[in-house]
Amino acid sequence: MDLLDLIDAVQSAADGILFGATYALLGIGFTLIFGVMHKINLSYAAASIGAAYASLLVLAVIKAPAILVFLIAAAAGGLIGGLVYLIGFRFIPLANPLATLMSTVGLLLLIDEIIVHTTAGVPLNYPALFSDVIVRAGPFGLRGDLMFVFALGCVCMVVLLLLLYRTRLGLATRAVSQQPTASKLCGISTTQVNVLTFVITGVVGGIAGAMTGAAIGMLSPLLSLPLTVKGLIVTVIGGLGSIPGAIIAGLIVGGLENVLQYFRGVSERDLYIMLLLFAFLVFRPGGIFAMPTGRD
Amino acid sequence: MDFYLGLIQIIGVHTLLGLSAYCVLLTGQVSLAQAGFFAIGAYVAGMLTVLAQWPLIPALGASAVVAGAVACAVGFPALRVKGLMLVVATVAFGEAVRLFFFNFTYQVQAGNLHLGPHGAEGFRQIRYFPQNGWSTFDVMLFIWVVVALVMAGLWWLDRSRVGTVLRAVGEDELAAQSSGINITAVKVSAMTIGGVIAGIGGGIFAHYTTHIEHAQFGVVLATFAIAYPILGGLSNVFGTLLAVIFIQGFLIEGLRFMGDWRNLLFGGLIVLAMNIRPRGLLDAGAVQALSRLFFSSKERSGA
Repeated sequence: MDLLDLIDAVQSAADGILFGATYALLGIGFTLIFGVMHKINLSYAAASIGAAYASLLVLAVIKAPAILVFLIAAAAGGLIGGLVYLIGFRFIPLANPLATLMSTVGLLLLIDEIIVHTTAGVPLNYPALFSDVIVRAGPFGLRGDLMFVFALGCVCMVVLLLLLYRTRLGLATRAVSQQPTASKLCGISTTQVNVLTFVITGVVGGIAGAMTGAAIGMLSPLLSLPLTVKGLIVTVIGGLGSIPGAIIAGLIVGGLENVLQYFRGVSERDLYIMLLLFAFLVFRPGGIFAMPTGRD
Repeated sequence: MDFYLGLIQIIGVHTLLGLSAYCVLLTGQVSLAQAGFFAIGAYVAGMLTVLAQWPLIPALGASAVVAGAVACAVGFPALRVKGLMLVVATVAFGEAVRLFFFNFTYQVQAGNLHLGPHGAEGFRQIRYFPQNGWSTFDVMLFIWVVVALVMAGLWWLDRSRVGTVLRAVGEDELAAQSSGINITAVKVSAMTIGGVIAGIGGGIFAHYTTHIEHAQFGVVLATFAIAYPILGGLSNVFGTLLAVIFIQGFLIEGLRFMGDWRNLLFGGLIVLAMNIRPRGLLDAGAVQALSRLFFSSKERSGA
């Protein structure tokens, strides 16, 4: 491998890590919902894409700046998150994990189909910020839109960590995720915490959806399944319930994916990500930051 | 008429797929790897009849063995984890299988035709049925004989000690383990049985569609596989059959007149069904009510 190849490889790794911020956010969403409810919400990535689509509605009315579109995506994500809880979890007995799994699958299909139905399946352009800026560093160039996406992702993560570890709501959330019964006895309303978790993860998902749209330049309903799979992979590699783990895993998966794409082509790249995941499940089932004994 | 025969064929093959997930779900494990086993069965059986000129039944046997062996091999590492981790592990396995066939090319020149799987283009010309003069009706009959055999086998399994053990692990692993059940062995066996059934189903699928490609075996098919038994209820094998008829017959074909709106209704109705009947359409209560309806006199005399 000569120098030029190396430069290209490092460049694609950098691009991938910047884009990995979206995977990290999705991973955090999956982890938070699982932490609080001990349930999988398979419709999460589809809802994120749905929120990004919803934010495009405002562009149809007025010519809004991109930042406003992002904010609306976050708001729409929160709304959809609340709806997902109401439709897919509220009225189904919690003792039956298969039923909620199935209802979120139904929601995933429903959200996808609503998108296909309203847009006739045609990919839509998504606005990006700073897309004309390129920061040069020696032989490398960092795309402005990707850097913005990455920065936005980092801000989200910091806000989320502050929310979880510095507020009463975060305390309640962590209490419910550790001991639902005990937290109920302390006067915490689990339903309220569950709803709020769905809304908050929905907001995060909406931002992740908007970030995906901004980084790729467009939105397509075909994005939701790969994003679901990648989000779940990030959740597992990072360790269930571990937010720092999800962040690191998201960036690793994003970077590796781009490097593998550079070396092995787009059709083989996901195969290696799956093998990486399998290796993690066999040798470190607890994720990156797990204690050596922390087996499920 | 051929349309209805085709629909009955689809229902039969999807019942096999659903039953393969049913076995695994009995032990309380959610496996999204069934589409992967299905794909392995489809490719193995297709390659054996097309490239090696095997007859269909031995080819199906071989695909069952291969898919079962892979399921057994995957079961050991995958079943060390449970819950969400298992879902992700099996999704990853299924996707890895799909991506493998996406990159898999093995073609043989036969006359002016290239036979065999060809990467992204898929595997065309699996023409065993037309070449041997099977009519659509014969194919349908064959599929349903296989489905009936598998269902009868699982019904018997359910009634036997094995079924009790499977359900015991599904209900409460800790309790099962303390009563001396080797849960790893039980889970891996269930996974293997599921793999065998999915392999047979995949083999048949490859032959009646005559053209298979990687995209058919994605996450969507895997979610369908677990959707059937969950929607139908795990109390017995007929729940899965009922759910396949509900989804394939009613939601997909029956609502075709609604055009574009059908797809919207599809997800919505699944959500609605889970809200109304969280334990499946044919849950234990429904089974009891039905058996009371049919065997009322017997029960009364017994009581």
